[in-house]
Amino acid sequence: MDLVLDIGISGVLMGLVYALLALGLTIIFGIMDTVNFAHGEFLMLGMYAGYLTYAHVYPDPLAGVPVAGATGLALGVLAYTLLVKRLLLGPPIAQIFGTFGLMLFLRYGALAVFGPNLRSATEGLVVARRLVAGGLTLDAAKVAAAAGSALLFALVYYLLRRTRLGLALQATAANREAARYMGINTDLMNLIGWALGGATAGMAGALLVNFYYVSPTVGMVFSMITFTTVALGGFGSVPGALVAGVLVGLIEVITAQLISPQLKLAVIYLVFFLVVLFRPRGLLGAR
Amino acid sequence: MTLWRILREAFTFSDLSRGERIGLALLLLAITAFPWVVRDGFARTVAVQFLLYAMLGVSWNFIGGYGGQIDLGGAKNVGFGAYGVALPMVLWNWPFWYGLPLGVAFAVLESLVLGLGLLRLRGHYFAIGTLAVALVWEELFVYSDWTRGARGILLPFKRPPDYAYMQLTPVGFHYFIAALFVFSLLWLNWFRRSKLGYQLRAIREDEDAAASLGINVLAAKVKAYCISSVVAALGGAFYAVYYGFIDPDSVMHLDLSIMIAMTALVGGAGVLWGPIVGAAVLIPLDRYLGAWFGGGGILGMDFVIYAVIIMLLAAYQPKGVAGLLDAFARWRAQGSGGGAARVRPVGGR
Repeated sequence: MDLVLDIGISGVLMGLVYALLALGLTIIFGIMDTVNFAHGEFLMLGMYAGYLTYAHVYPDPLAGVPVAGATGLALGVLAYTLLVKRLLLGPPIAQIFGTFGLMLFLRYGALAVFGPNLRSATEGLVVARRLVAGGLTLDAAKVAAAAGSALLFALVYYLLRRTRLGLALQATAANREAARYMGINTDLMNLIGWALGGATAGMAGALLVNFYYVSPTVGMVFSMITFTTVALGGFGSVPGALVAGVLVGLIEVITAQLISPQLKLAVIYLVFFLVVLFRPRGLLGAR
Repeated sequence: MTLWRILREAFTFSDLSRGERIGLALLLLAITAFPWVVRDGFARTVAVQFLLYAMLGVSWNFIGGYGGQIDLGGAKNVGFGAYGVALPMVLWNWPFWYGLPLGVAFAVLESLVLGLGLLRLRGHYFAIGTLAVALVWEELFVYSDWTRGARGILLPFKRPPDYAYMQLTPVGFHYFIAALFVFSLLWLNWFRRSKLGYQLRAIREDEDAAASLGINVLAAKVKAYCISSVVAALGGAFYAVYYGFIDPDSVMHLDLSIMIAMTALVGGAGVLWGPIVGAAVLIPLDRYLGAWFGGGGILGMDFVIYAVIIMLLAAYQPKGVAGLLDAFARWRAQGSGGGAARVRPVGGR
């Protein structure tokens, strides 16, 4: 019984981080029908931003979170202004291989600048600490990451549902033309979508630094997990991102426990296929 | 479709512009004469790589170029071809020619089965799907002991020239890959002039309209996908005997899938000679950059440059070099005949 609880909690904690990642991607997709192949790289660069803050400014990865958020935001804005804006004018093939190119650029650029070595944080408020609660021992870093993710998710949700800006974003996602007729600057909405996506991915990355290793190549894995999560939740669905994120987190730990830790990813990709083939609109999606 | 008809179609280039035909003829001449004119070992390996990647780009063109379905997982077929040759050779001493059909058959079967599912997906769903499939296969090959996992397979040494195990001299390998490349190009040429090719292009332009015209969209896509797999698997088989060592990192990696797609995209997807130009641009870039950077070693710099190329192309000229030529021709035509000038589209029909 203890094992089940252990696995369950582990899955949910990681799942909340996935949910945050999925949120950014699903917002971008919802607003402009573009899949951001570089989403995992935004996370990766957020990790580096967080790590470098930890290494040179203040020895706690948590301090890196706002820095990573700003970095992610800047990246999102730059990506949109310099690249995606033009991609939207072209055929869908251009969007796919344009953001794919961005992914390669960021990934190999990071490899060139930072080198292939893995880094990890060794000190900090929650790094390598245990949290004992109600008879359970938890990894404090994971709890912090999950809590941070949940908090950010809630903030973005509030933004979307309760502010005028959020309503404008939702309107653009629902019907672009109509939004434009209503006087909404859809180009600005696109930009904000990317800024949000970048910022959330960046902060998710920084939260992961508390317990995950930092390397230029982590992006691809997280990208694929995020695609799966978004597909499962429904492309464009915010609640879907949360539910699917937690589900994917659970699937990951259950697979690791019952089958093999090395096949975690294979099973997640399998889930992606099953969802996309048999229920393309995901659990809570509309399309 | 008699054999004679197929061969005749494969060798018909009359619908290409004069410049294109001359270019192809020159290419053929260059490929044939190359080993006699150039003796430098490094240049020879670059030439072989060029031909190999041009061939892999051609394989991508069937489904990605003419079909418009972005396949980001081409490397898996290369891996199947390579392992199909290497594993039996190492396990049971099978000659190359026994392993080759094995690898190709596996690739086709896998494409058929998975394709029936995957090819129902559109646009980015398909792209992500192919990515996921290729990643799964790579993971499986790394994880499994049968395929020797990450350790890879070292092919047994046979004194060249050995035509059973295809261990050849450098010149021999050059002509081997040249033959494979020409074969794949002729196949693509037949394809683009065939009913199947027309169907794929219709699907690329507007899938729903194509379906409403009575085209069996899924069947057409699956056929093109399978052809693509055969050609890529052939490339993989060559890779195994040429390099003598394979592992999931070299023949099944994402980077290879990217290179394959890029080769076609840079030159012009959906254009017969697109992959050739693409390979001509990318391979020397890669080899000489690698040699330049490799010494001092800024790891990853070559891919950074590719990435910039991809982004620029995606943003400004998704049709690659072929698109640039088309735009140039149209710009030229504007000056003279104006609206009445008929601009021949690049790449024939």
